[in-house]
Order: sequence, then C-alpha cells, then structure tokens
Amino acid sequence: WGAPMEKTRPRSPPAGRTPPTSPPTTRRGATAPGPRTTTTTRHRCRSRTVARALAPTPTPTAWRRRMMPRRKRATPPRTRLRRGTPSGTCRSSGTRTRSTSVTTSQRGRSRSGTGRAESTASSAAKITMMTGTRLKIWDDYNAEEVKITKEEAKIISRMMKGKTPHANVDPYPDYVDWFEYADKGHPLSNAPEPKRRFVPSKWEQKKVVKLVRAIRKGWIKFDKPKDEPNYYLLWGDDTDTADNKRQGLSYIPAPKPNLPGHEESYNPSVEYIPTQEEIDNYQLMYEEDRPKFIPRRFESLRSVPAYEKALREGFDRCLDLYLCPRTRKKRINIDPESLKPKLPSKKDLRPYPRTCYLEFKGHGGPVTSLSVEATGQWIASGSSDGTIRVWEVETGRCLKVFNVGADVHHISWNPSPERPILAAIVGRDLLLLNAEVGDEETQVRTKELLHVGEPTPEDDGDKKPAVRWVNNDKFDGITLIHHRAASTVEWHSKGDYFTTVVPTGESRAVLLHQLSKKHSHHPFRKLPGLPVAAVFHPTQKMFFVATKKFVQVYDLQKAEVVKKLESGLREISSISIHPGGDNVIVGSKDGKLCWFDTDLSTRPYKMLKNHSKDITSVTFHRRYPLFASSSEDCTAHVFHGMVYADLNQNPLIVPLEILRGHLSSDRRGVLDCKFHPRQPWLFTAGADSMIRLYCD
Amino acid sequence: ELSRMGLSEIVNSLLLSAEPDHQAQPFDFIVDGELVRMPLHQFLLAKGISAERVLELEYIKAVAPRKQEPPLPHDDWVSAVDGSNPSFILTGCYDGLARIWKDAAECTQVLEGHSGAITSASFINKGVETDGSLHVVTGSKDRSLRLFKFDTSVTIGSSKRIGAYKILPGHTSSIQSIAVDPSRNMICSASWDTTIKLWAVEGSEEDSDTVSVKKRRMNSDASGPEESQLEGSASSTLLGHTQCVSSVAWPEQRTIYSASWDHSVRQWDAQTGRETWNMFCGKALNCLDCGGEGSSLIAAGGSDPVLRVWDPRKPGTTAPIFQFSSHSSWISACKWHPSSWFHLISSSFDGKVMLWDLRTAWPLASVDSHKDKVTFSICGLPFAYFWGK
Repeated sequence: WGAPMEKTRPRSPPAGRTPPTSPPTTRRGATAPGPRTTTTTRHRCRSRTVARALAPTPTPTAWRRRMMPRRKRATPPRTRLRRGTPSGTCRSSGTRTRSTSVTTSQRGRSRSGTGRAESTASSAAKITMMTGTRLKIWDDYNAEEVKITKEEAKIISRMMKGKTPHANVDPYPDYVDWFEYADKGHPLSNAPEPKRRFVPSKWEQKKVVKLVRAIRKGWIKFDKPKDEPNYYLLWGDDTDTADNKRQGLSYIPAPKPNLPGHEESYNPSVEYIPTQEEIDNYQLMYEEDRPKFIPRRFESLRSVPAYEKALREGFDRCLDLYLCPRTRKKRINIDPESLKPKLPSKKDLRPYPRTCYLEFKGHGGPVTSLSVEATGQWIASGSSDGTIRVWEVETGRCLKVFNVGADVHHISWNPSPERPILAAIVGRDLLLLNAEVGDEETQVRTKELLHVGEPTPEDDGDKKPAVRWVNNDKFDGITLIHHRAASTVEWHSKGDYFTTVVPTGESRAVLLHQLSKKHSHHPFRKLPGLPVAAVFHPTQKMFFVATKKFVQVYDLQKAEVVKKLESGLREISSISIHPGGDNVIVGSKDGKLCWFDTDLSTRPYKMLKNHSKDITSVTFHRRYPLFASSSEDCTAHVFHGMVYADLNQNPLIVPLEILRGHLSSDRRGVLDCKFHPRQPWLFTAGADSMIRLYCD
Repeated sequence: ELSRMGLSEIVNSLLLSAEPDHQAQPFDFIVDGELVRMPLHQFLLAKGISAERVLELEYIKAVAPRKQEPPLPHDDWVSAVDGSNPSFILTGCYDGLARIWKDAAECTQVLEGHSGAITSASFINKGVETDGSLHVVTGSKDRSLRLFKFDTSVTIGSSKRIGAYKILPGHTSSIQSIAVDPSRNMICSASWDTTIKLWAVEGSEEDSDTVSVKKRRMNSDASGPEESQLEGSASSTLLGHTQCVSSVAWPEQRTIYSASWDHSVRQWDAQTGRETWNMFCGKALNCLDCGGEGSSLIAAGGSDPVLRVWDPRKPGTTAPIFQFSSHSSWISACKWHPSSWFHLISSSFDGKVMLWDLRTAWPLASVDSHKDKVTFSICGLPFAYFWGK
C-alpha cells in the first residue's frame, strides 16, 4: 500500500480534486474493508489507553501525514490546507473514554461543564440537549470524575450506533487507480535502461580478480579439510620421537625421572635412613658413584627446608641454555673400525720374520750390502771397511774375508748354485770373486770361468771403452773397469748375464755383461733420467731399469720399451721384481714404497708411506708371499704380498711386522735387506756394522 | 712352608735313622708324575689338589750338574763332541781337526785330514776293542766323512797326529750330522744337499775302483799322511727331504730319524731306505734326538727358542707333547740322557745349556759359562758338554 502511494506523489491529482471527500471509484467494494476500519479510529484520543485499545494501524492518510515534513516542497500548499481540516477537528474534539464509561452512573454527567457545548458541533449538542443532563463519569483508574463534553457524547453515540466516530470522515472513499497503464501508452518510467545495467561491474571484477589470485596462490583451497581425529592416544608416551618428528624439529626428549619412592618421602620409614657410618662411606666414594639423594626424616612437611641446590641447579640450567650450540651439527656416526679394510689376521699369514736370533758380527764399518747364496747356506756382505765377508747362515760364523781395500757399494751372489761367484762393486769398478764354497769340480769350473784370455784390443775409436775385463790376480777374479763409477750389479737368474748401472754414464749408463764370453755392451741409449738400478725379469727376457722417477720395462729380444711405470715418487732408490714377474715394488728416498701391478696399470697399485726416512732396499721373497723394505730409520718392515693367479683378483698387501734392533750410526740405519731363499727369514745389514737374521 | 729343601731334610733324617752312615744329599719329589719345583702348598694350590687328601710323595735323587772341569782349550770353534766313551772324549773343531781327550784332561791324539770344518764326530765302538784301538768317524764341511782308528794305549803328554784310514766322499755339500747304528756297523750322514747316505764301516776295501782313486789321491797329495787311505761309497741314499738335512738319529736297528730345514721330521726304514713316517712342524729344525721310554720320543729344536718333544706313536696329531721354552735363541743341539727316560739336555745360541726333566716345565739346571753360542752339545754319561769359541 505505501509504496505505490509514494511513487505517485509527484503525480498528484489535478487541483480541485479532493480525494478523501469525493473519490468516485469503481473498485470501491474491493478495497473498502481495510481503509474503512482504519478510518474509523483515525482520530487521536486524549486517553492513551483508549488509543491503545483502538490500536490503529497507520492508514495511508496518517502515514502520509507523518511523511509530510519531508515532502513539504513537493506538496502543494493547498493539499496541506485540506488535510489540516480533519486533523484539527480531531484535536478539538478530544474525549476521555473509559472502559467503565458504559456502566457509569449518571451523577458525573450533571457536574460536567456546559461551557464546552457552545463550541461543539450541532449533532452532539442535540444528544446532550435531548438527555438534558451533563454526563459525568467516575474514572477509577485516575480516581477522578470526568465530564463528557457534547462532542464526546456525540462520538460515543455514534460509536454506539456503529458509525464512524467522526461525522466528517467518509469511510468509503472512491478508489483512485493511480497505476493504471492500460490506456496510457507509456510505462511507468520512460527513461531508457541505463548503460550500467549492461556494463559488467568494475567492483565486481576487482573482487573476482582478487579471488582468482587467491586461488592461484593457494590461499583458497577447495580441498575439503581433512577430518582431524578428535581422539588421541591416552597412554601414549610424549618421548615418542616418531610422533614429534613431524614438527620438523629434532626433538630430544628429556630423560624421564624415576618415580619417587618411599625414601623420598619427608618422613620415610627408618629402614630408608642411612646410618652415620654409611654416610661417611659415601664420602669415600667417587663423586659420580655417590647417591644423589640421602633420605632424611622430618617431623612435618612444614619443617622440610628449601631445596638447597636450587640456586646451583638453576645456574647450571641457565649455563646449559647459554652454552648449548645454536646450530645443529650433523655428525656422521661411523665406527672407525669399519673404515679399515678387512685384512686377514697376522696369525693366518705366518710364517714371517719376527724375532732376531742371530747376529753376524765382524765388520768394522757400515755393512752396505748383502747377498744370500742360492741355496741359503751362505751369505756375503760388503762393507765400507773395505772387506767382503762370507758367512755361514746356520751358525753365524764368518767363513772368509776378502780384503778388497775399497768401499764395497753393492754385492750380489750368482744365483746359480754351480757358480759360487760374487759380484761386487768395489770402489768404482766391478769385481768378480770366487767365493770358494763349492766342491772341487765346481771350483775348477769357476776358476776357468774367472779367467780372462788375452784382451782383444777393440778399437772404439777415440772413445774410452765402457768396460774393460781385466784379470785380478790378488783374488783370482776379474775386475771390470768401468768408464765411470758403477753403483749396482744384478745377475740374471741363469747366472751368466749380469748388469751394472753407471749413474753418470749418460748413454752408456746401463751395461749388460756376459760372463761366459766376457763381453759387455750397452743397449739402452736413452733413459728418462739418471738410472738408479736395473734388474732382470725372473723368467722372461725382460729388463727393468729404474730411473729417478720412472721404471722402464724393456723387451730384450725386440730391444724396445714395453712399458714405462710412473712412480710419482721424488727419487727411486731401489726396485725388486716379484718372482712371478708381473709385480714390481719400488722404494723411494722419501720413505714411500710403491707396488706396481704391471698388468693393471702403469701407475702404482698401492703406495705405502711407512718409513720416516729413506728406503734403502726393497725385496721380495722367492717362495713365501712376503716382501720387505729397509730404511735409514733403523727399521725393516715386513709385508705380506700375495699375488693371485686369478687376474681379476688384486694383490693382497698386509703389513706384518716392524723389525727393530739396528742402531743408528752416522744417521744411517738399515742399509740392505734380503730374504733367505728358502726360509721365511730376513737378513738386514745395518750401518752399525752388524748383520741380523730375523726368523719366524 | 715345606719346600724341597725341607722335604729333603726330612728324608735325610729318616734315612740317617735307618742307616747310620748315610750321607745327606738333596732329593727331588714327585707328586702325580710331576716334579715339585716350588713350596708344597703353592704346588698344591697350583695343581688344585685338596689339602685334605693324603699326598703321596715319591723321592728321587736330585739331578744336579757336576762341577765344571777345567775347560779343554781349542783354537777355534768346537763344533762336535762325543763323550760316549767312558775314558775318552772326542771333539771336532772348526779348524778341521778332531781331537781325542783322555780322561777329559789331556789331548792325546789329533785326527787330521779334513780340509773344512768338522761338523760332527762320533765314536763307532764304545768299548775298547780287542786289538786295543778305537774307531772314530768325523763329518766335515768338505763334503766327506773320514774314519779314524787310534790306539788307546798312548802315553800321556804327546799328542799324536793321525790320518784317516778311510774316506767316504759322495755328498755334494757339507755334512751336517752323523749317526752310528746300534750294531756299530753302519754310519748314516745327513748333508746340506738334502740327502741322507748310509755307509758301511767295514768291507769294500778291496774294491778296485776305490784303490785306484786312492792311488791318485796319494800321488796328488804329496804332503798327505803316509798311511794307506781307502775310499768307500754309500751303500744307500735316502731321498725325500727338500732342504738341508740338519740332524739324524739312529736309535734302533731299523729306524732312522732325520730333521731338516724343510720343517719336517722323517722316519726311515734303514733296510729298505723308504720313508715310513713324517711330520711337519712349521720351523726349520736344527737338531734331533730320540730317547725316552723305548727310544720312542723325538726331541727337536730349531729356529726358535722352544725345544719340543713329539711322540710318533700318537696317531693323527702333530702337536708336540712337551715344549720347553726357557731359551732365548735358536736351539743348536739336544740330547737325551742315555740311561734316563726323563732327562734331556739342550744347548742354544744364547750361550746356555739347560737340563730338562719331562716331568716339569722348568729347567733342572742351566749352565751359562760359555761366552758365545753353544753350537753343539752331546751328553754322555757324565753330562759332558762343549762349546764354541
């Protein structure tokens, strides 16, 4: 009802037309009941109770009036005037009605004033006039007498007749159909649809963009949130780290304290209380063994003193917090034992030389070199005191002394048992000696062998010959006079060929000699550095030359380099070939020992840094899987060096024993070491002029 | 606190009460087959014998080393000694000479002829023969054995030089050890050339080959002895060892034992020359001797300071039944007591000679009067011993 009325306000009816009074309407019957009932109670009563009892719903008119101040300008003044009439009427004719008014006696009427009747309307006055009495009504509620005026009486009479209280009100005004379009030809508003109705909303778009962004960023999730179980393990342990790991923290639970027992009571039983003797015994114990808590008895809980260590423990706790590392240190917890290679036990690798039982004493200077006879019955040693001695292994007795008169640098026994010949580097030349240990036949043959016929004058042109074979009458031997000082001599396993190394010999540095033909030559013209040692392959026609950094492997038949082993060492001092021929060990002057597997690589298979000083000699055992190295640091090291027939299996190297016993003399230690050819024994020659035999 | 001394006093006083002319002497006591070498209560504790038990003590005469006789001086290392003859001592020396000492005091004969050091020497016949001469065999590093014969009735004061009457060449390397068989007819020699050769003492002198060899030798060696020299050849050769045979023993007529540097002890049948038993011990062996009950135990020492005793009758094991390890260097020689089953003597490169009893792990006596290595020892009846240097 209200809303259409609002809208129609600007289109108010044309002037002169008074809607409340004369609205001729066709639909009167249809809309009549509502307005009619309201209009009957439209007047404003002076009594609030009456007004409430009548409970008027706002009629269009009343509503309109309430709206009046807002619509002041839009409303033509005439309309206001017209409306003012009924309202003014209503005010003037205010009555006091009582619920008890109907039953009131007539006595009040008589007392009510007559003065008011003068200004009242005609019909009400008529009623009063008719009755002839002034109506007075006793109001119980307010405890007063109310005089009813004529107007009031009129209203009452009208109401009693079932009419509207006021005579001016038309309860059935004509209906004005303000919204009738049928014949108008225009809608209610002719304004065109605004553009914004068709343009998408800017704010809406902004909102959508925000949402889209939030979705893309994942702020809005469409997954249904997982149902968190609202139960938990009641008896679970909070020390369970598996549960706490989800937090991403390395949760270390505090150790659980033991539950207190009876002895921790403030008043424990007597048996918990230690005697004075026991307390005294605690003082004798170690701090950590002492019991942390000594039970005591108190009369009451009140007399228990404060915890005496509270301050101290608080301080410790703070100190712990202060000192605790702020970063997580990832420490690998590895058992160092597991990093060690799995090596067989030393017990399983017996026999190997362990203890020194025999000493060969007699030399007057450092024993520079020693060599063992092929059968292992004798050894020969050369010393700086200018002697070569032959010893009996079994008893340690010196059998023979050759006073050669110059430093013996290197000595080597002919590996053939039929040729008891010693080759020694004496001074700068090579001396071949008859060791005189064989039977008569051998002696005769050896003597024949050690005799040089008429030296054929070979014209090498202007050059000095590399080697001259000269008979040595003093020892019934041969002297090979080299053009420069020779350093080492090595025999071929057959005992006919031997080689000498002349380090400063340049192109004639490595010489090959043949004993039976008394012939020498120098096949190796070019060497990568100064040669140190040269050895024959034990079985094949190969030849190893060790220079300061490399080991060259030559094929003697083809006269070419087969391999070049790179040691990576500072300076090679000695070399030894495994009896199989495929493995080479090399000792260096920086105390390192290299094992080459020539089948595997030209680089060292293993590098052992075992000595603190120069390695003087390395050697393989011919029968047992052993090798040894001797050094200037007065020790000899014995290793197990097993070479397998299976090519896929790498050699096994196990350090076995450090042999001590030699004394340092002039800062030199052990100068040479050699294995016994048949027993697992090691001979070492020391600078303290002693030879030691280490046995298993 | 009863010790051996206290127990000996008790026994001596008991004996004195029985025989008034009894001389007090030390005794050794045996409990359950073991010698008591400590105070009795310690012994009981160590053996776990209850003190409540009745203890049976067996007393025997204590074996004590005799007093040292004045040493017999040599020029060089003494390498061999044989004291099995009651009146003579035979020594071999590194200077190639063997010497006969009468009554352990005076050198009566010098046996010469070897060009190398003598490594072993032995009397062939123990008693004096009917013709008043003794036969002696020596082995040397010059690869030969020599047989000597000397007259026992020689005046004291002159050391006579005697040459060998027979030479037994054949080994290709130095001879390490000699053993004479119980019947005194055969000699076996062990050599560095891995063989053991058996030689007959008598016979085959008329062999024409040996005579011719003898003649040549006589001609070539002008300064040699004037006596006629014979040469013999080995009756058989025992092959089997792979390294130096260091020691042989011939305890019974049929069996020969040998020890070698190839870590083995082998038993040979002397008649057939075949190997009948062997045993490997893991050490190079230097010496061997058979003795004990029925000459069935083998004592051997080698390149470690332990003297071991094996029982070859024990089947299926090569573990030694006794080990004596008080030496500190190689054992160079060992010898059983000729009459006692329990006693043996050993010498070592540490300069000590030790007397052992099988019934205790401690040495009964130790003699360390030698300055250097004791190279060879042979104990005869009076426990004689000799040494090197």
